[in-house]
Amino acid sequence: MFKEFIQGLSITLKHLSPKHITTVQYPRVRLQVSDRFRGLHRLVPTQDREKCVACYLCPTVCPAKCITVESAENEKGEKYPKVYQIDMLRCIFCGYCVEACPVEAIEMSGQYELANYKREQFIFDKKRLLETK
Amino acid sequence: MVNLTIDGKQVTVSKTATIYEAAKEAGVDIPVLCYAKKLLPFGACRVCLVEVEQMKGRLIPACTTPATEGMVVTTNSDEIAKVRKTVMEFLLVNHVLDCPVCDKGGECDLQDLTYDFEVNSNRFEGVKFDLPTDEVNPLIERNMNRCVLCGRCVRVCDEIVAYGSYSFINRGFETKIATAFDRGLSCEFCGQCLSMCPVGALLPRPFKFKARPWQLKEVDSVCGYCGNGCTVTLGCKDNQVQTIRFNDKIGVNDGNLCVRGRFGYSYVNRDDRLTTPLVRKDGQLVEASWDEALDAVSSALKDGKAGILSGARLTNEELFLLKNVAKTASASLDHSGGECYKGVTEGLQETLGLASSTGTFPQVEDADVILSIRSDFYETHPVFGMVVNQAVKRNGAKFLVLSDKTGKFNKLPDAQTLLTKPGLEVNVLNAICAALLESGQAKTDGVSGVDEFKSALADYAPAKVSAQTGVPVEAITAAAEQLAGAKKGAILLAYGLPYTAQSKELAIAAANLAILSGLAAQDEAGLYICGEKANSQGAIDLGILPGDGLGAQEQLAAAAKGDLDLLYVIGEDPMTSYPDGAKVEAAINGAKMVVVQDLFLTPTAEQADVVLPAASFAEKDGTFTNAERRIQRVRPGITSPGEAKSDFEIFTSLLGRLGAQVSYTGPQAVFAALAAENGEYAGIDFDAIGPQGVVWGGDKLAPKQQVLVSVSGLQPVEARFQLVTGSALYHSGTTSTRAKGPRAVIDEAYVELGREDAAELGVATDDQVTVKANGNTVKLKAKVDNRLPKGVVFVPNHFAGTGLNKIYQGAASVAVEVTKG
Repeated sequence: MFKEFIQGLSITLKHLSPKHITTVQYPRVRLQVSDRFRGLHRLVPTQDREKCVACYLCPTVCPAKCITVESAENEKGEKYPKVYQIDMLRCIFCGYCVEACPVEAIEMSGQYELANYKREQFIFDKKRLLETK
Repeated sequence: MVNLTIDGKQVTVSKTATIYEAAKEAGVDIPVLCYAKKLLPFGACRVCLVEVEQMKGRLIPACTTPATEGMVVTTNSDEIAKVRKTVMEFLLVNHVLDCPVCDKGGECDLQDLTYDFEVNSNRFEGVKFDLPTDEVNPLIERNMNRCVLCGRCVRVCDEIVAYGSYSFINRGFETKIATAFDRGLSCEFCGQCLSMCPVGALLPRPFKFKARPWQLKEVDSVCGYCGNGCTVTLGCKDNQVQTIRFNDKIGVNDGNLCVRGRFGYSYVNRDDRLTTPLVRKDGQLVEASWDEALDAVSSALKDGKAGILSGARLTNEELFLLKNVAKTASASLDHSGGECYKGVTEGLQETLGLASSTGTFPQVEDADVILSIRSDFYETHPVFGMVVNQAVKRNGAKFLVLSDKTGKFNKLPDAQTLLTKPGLEVNVLNAICAALLESGQAKTDGVSGVDEFKSALADYAPAKVSAQTGVPVEAITAAAEQLAGAKKGAILLAYGLPYTAQSKELAIAAANLAILSGLAAQDEAGLYICGEKANSQGAIDLGILPGDGLGAQEQLAAAAKGDLDLLYVIGEDPMTSYPDGAKVEAAINGAKMVVVQDLFLTPTAEQADVVLPAASFAEKDGTFTNAERRIQRVRPGITSPGEAKSDFEIFTSLLGRLGAQVSYTGPQAVFAALAAENGEYAGIDFDAIGPQGVVWGGDKLAPKQQVLVSVSGLQPVEARFQLVTGSALYHSGTTSTRAKGPRAVIDEAYVELGREDAAELGVATDDQVTVKANGNTVKLKAKVDNRLPKGVVFVPNHFAGTGLNKIYQGAASVAVEVTKG
């Protein structure tokens, strides 16, 4: 019994050594998130407009019903999202919208610092989503 | 009947059935793309290939192969699946992959089949088309890059609409669907083609990029325009009717709709709908509370002599409540101008003892002889017109058109036109009766009044009438012969506000002919007298008629004299649509108080003292009775804007204020009450009104009597120009002039001239023309075509502000002066 106790504690002690510390001093130090991290959404721009063609697949697939799209016709007769809005208070970051998108117009960035002071500030409209880095 | 085996299931079907139809009966699903229930078999897409034991060695298209005795069919095997998948790959070779921006996405047959067959890649390569889209017409978007050449649009336009806009052009890979000379589409815009298109090649432009099909709440209701009573499935989103969805599963129209039904819904969404009651204070209409407005109306109803003019687009339940309002307040009550429906209420009553059409619409599809009185019947009831098209084109019915102008009907194959001078239809009908009696073909068993009728017809010998009307004697006698030989004949006549002249006489003449030719006593079809508005028949059934009180015209006369304390106009715009506008204006000015209950601030409402905002058909629950006596459910798809209330609620509040003890829980309770009072509706349960509705009196209404009543026709109007009015195909009443769809095709009144007259006057289309009569002048744009005979001009009656009813005072034809400029 004593032997096992030592064995267990040795792991704990090993991790106390400076070589093994996993905690970082956030916010002074930030971890590099994985490429597959599902953070704040980003709408992909093209040269003159957003890539999104307002096909309504993301609001349809969204389990949290947090995406609002309103399509319209632009001057060139193309379909575009007049309104594209995500309610981050409802979003569960499942990434289904990214998966459903037929034109790869929506991605998920590494941004996870989404805290804010007002409810309205959690509503990300098209402009904000296009500006997401 | 033939017996066959499909996937091991025994099935017995009729001799005319195809393998596809037999499989459907057996509950076996065969994928199809070019097949449509109402169209003839075509076999363009080859998706429905099946294996037949007796025809081993090749696969057989199920949708074109007739089922034969002893056939053993396999609809699914590895080989079939492989071949079908290959067919899909072929179809997808040059189909553009723009599903994300295609409005068909989500209800596209090609998309569904591609998914079903798991066509994830294509072994074949081809060039995707890059053809320009048709941006010329306002209603139907044509994108031929998405077309799979199933030919459904070509066939529906030819077989059912009988317009023939489309055809296949070019060959091989270059094949495409095109209009004449490959110009933009210019047709009657019924949109049948887009309802048939299995892909996104044809789409409704007003609905472009508005929503995905799965986002729409679908509500099955009845079209609020004409008396045809077509089922419309409202596609609602964001409390607006976004589009009308295709639905061939229920209703009397088999999925067919006209331009009004399919594109004329948008008036319900308009921003200028009335949202609050208005009361006139210091000469201005100002917003008021419901209490204030209703108190004003109810006290006027209670204290003074009141006249109520109703429209025929209220539900049966609302009409019943309105009748109670009138009864409680001892007010006079009438509808639709009071004249135009007299053919049904008086004419048919005197001759056949009925007050409605005798058969149902589908019965006309296999009729052998059809007589349409006025070619305008297609304009007033286009979808019933499509039934006639099918009877004539598909089933070879003999078709006679008695009209003062030609139109769509006259262009049907072998249609015989009895072209008469305007207003002389009664004379010609009398002449056909005379010819029937003369040749001894008339069926007079059980018919009373024959001798008097015979002697009264002395003035209408075919030769005499021919000289008077311009219809050849041979045409009259031939018509008589054909009608007498009919095994299943139909006589069609529409009534409505633009057709008030001789409405009673015309209906009697038609009934006489129906009696003498034996049509009235047939087992099916017979005489159809169809109302202009969605619930015209309901208004007659429920007795929205003067009775002992004043009729519409008498009410107007009394109001003009100042004898009426209240004129209460519901769902009508008499200033625009009633004949004799001066009389209406005098009545509006003369009545002490005018109340208008409507959706919009119509020209009549602008003159009113109290305006009550009402609900449109898309916001109501209740029933309509169509022109074939079919009672159908109207269901609300959206809520009324602002404080607008349904007529149902308004009448209930009024009844309460008038002191009547009413506590109806809803339309259901009112329907039960009206069924208890009205013999024909007795025993019909509101909740049991199914998808096909309930036809009161049964599919064929046998005449209660057969009495010939002699009626006299008019004398021809002698003038260089005669004006006739009526309905234009794109509009119905005045409501459709507020809907974007119909307006996109015709957005202002016009005067239609024949080519000969136009050449003589030096007038081209869009030139301004002055029409002068009865001391009034009207300036309108000209429209030149070859529909009208020399000396006849036509002005549609839908548009407000044209002043047409200053010229048109209810006569069948008006002598006018027409000048350029």
